Amino acid sequence: MTEADEKALRLQAALDGELDAAGMLAFERACAEDPALAAEFARMASLEEALRRAAPIEPAPAHLRARMAALGAPPRQRPWLFSAPPPALAASLLLGALLGYGGGLLRPAQPQDERALVSAFMRTQIGGQSVDVATSDRHVVKPWLASRAPLAVAAVDLASAGFPLIGGRVEALDGRIAPTLVYRRREHRIEVTELPLSGGAGETIATSRLDGYHVARWSDFDRSYVAVTDLPETELADFVAAFRAAVAAEREEPRAK
Amino acid sequence: MTASDLARRRFAAVALPHLDAAYSLAKSLAGNGADAEDIVQEACLRALAALETQQVEKPRAWMLTITRNVALTFLSRRAPPSPADIGDLERDGRLSAAEPGPDAETRLIAADEGAALRGALAELPLALRETLLMRAVHGLSYRDIAVATAAPVGTVMSRLARARAALAQALGAKK
Repeated sequence: MTEADEKALRLQAALDGELDAAGMLAFERACAEDPALAAEFARMASLEEALRRAAPIEPAPAHLRARMAALGAPPRQRPWLFSAPPPALAASLLLGALLGYGGGLLRPAQPQDERALVSAFMRTQIGGQSVDVATSDRHVVKPWLASRAPLAVAAVDLASAGFPLIGGRVEALDGRIAPTLVYRRREHRIEVTELPLSGGAGETIATSRLDGYHVARWSDFDRSYVAVTDLPETELADFVAAFRAAVAAEREEPRAK
Repeated sequence: MTASDLARRRFAAVALPHLDAAYSLAKSLAGNGADAEDIVQEACLRALAALETQQVEKPRAWMLTITRNVALTFLSRRAPPSPADIGDLERDGRLSAAEPGPDAETRLIAADEGAALRGALAELPLALRETLLMRAVHGLSYRDIAVATAAPVGTVMSRLARARAALAQALGAKK
């Protein structure tokens, strides 16, 4: 790159607000010493102004906006859900409900997710391969999962609470990639899987027992979590409390790595 | 699949505020309003689907990135891209010497600065045009543009410089 190119790029970066404070200061000093540079800067700035005037952001046509806004609007309540439906409709409703259950349309209650996660827990317990990335460093686990899963993962460190992180893996649930964190306590494991929010975020923790394992489900912010473990229920509750506190603390942190 | 409540809420918060920007960019890239509407509609559907599982940090840059990608797919289907669109025009590495367009001289005389600029903009190769629009009109940072166009930041900077040099030349602004 020639010196002239570099100078041009620096001028452009100043115009675009891409110089840091020190760079901007140096550039202003250079402008003060070099009238030609100052003039070039003014010329570029006025070109930019002219361009913004010539190609402004124009409003989308009203019909397009209306159609797209409808995409974001909640589905309209169907009135026949609340009045007595005609028999044929009632039959199709029932059928729909049954199909919907099998097809995962009834999202809020998702015991099939929990069942699949318990199966995964059992499989890894027998197979011995519980993590795809084995490290206690959450700064390694987090980007590893983030590069494979669509959700930004809450890889929190719970070693101080007695639950060291041992790694992470991805589960495929109902066609979706679900990031899973694996923690350890003594010879036991706790696997936390992050899911898109189902139902509303709330304080409630639902625990259940499936095939001898304990399962906890809860929602925070805009995520749902399912934890599966072979620990006793009281220790699972400790874990969930520690995990939620750590996630909340991470949310509070200013955006820093 | 019908969109979940969460995706709809995110869509309303993240995508809809930037509908005008998306439409404007699509129109500038496609060259007409009718195609721009198709592009925006497709971009919105993709955005809605992505929002099922995704959180967005920079909604404007994100929305424009989707729009740009849809527009490029659309344009590649409409007509084979011209060599000028494919080439990066970076062979000689010089940033200030843009080739004058065929009717740059005619435009020199054009009284209307805005029309001249729009004409010059429309003649820019796609890679230069999208970069300049994202920066000058939509206010994206170099880094966001680099992500949106899948190009290194250095390439974004040199494309911007070449695009501006071409516009300046078309306007007849002499150094």
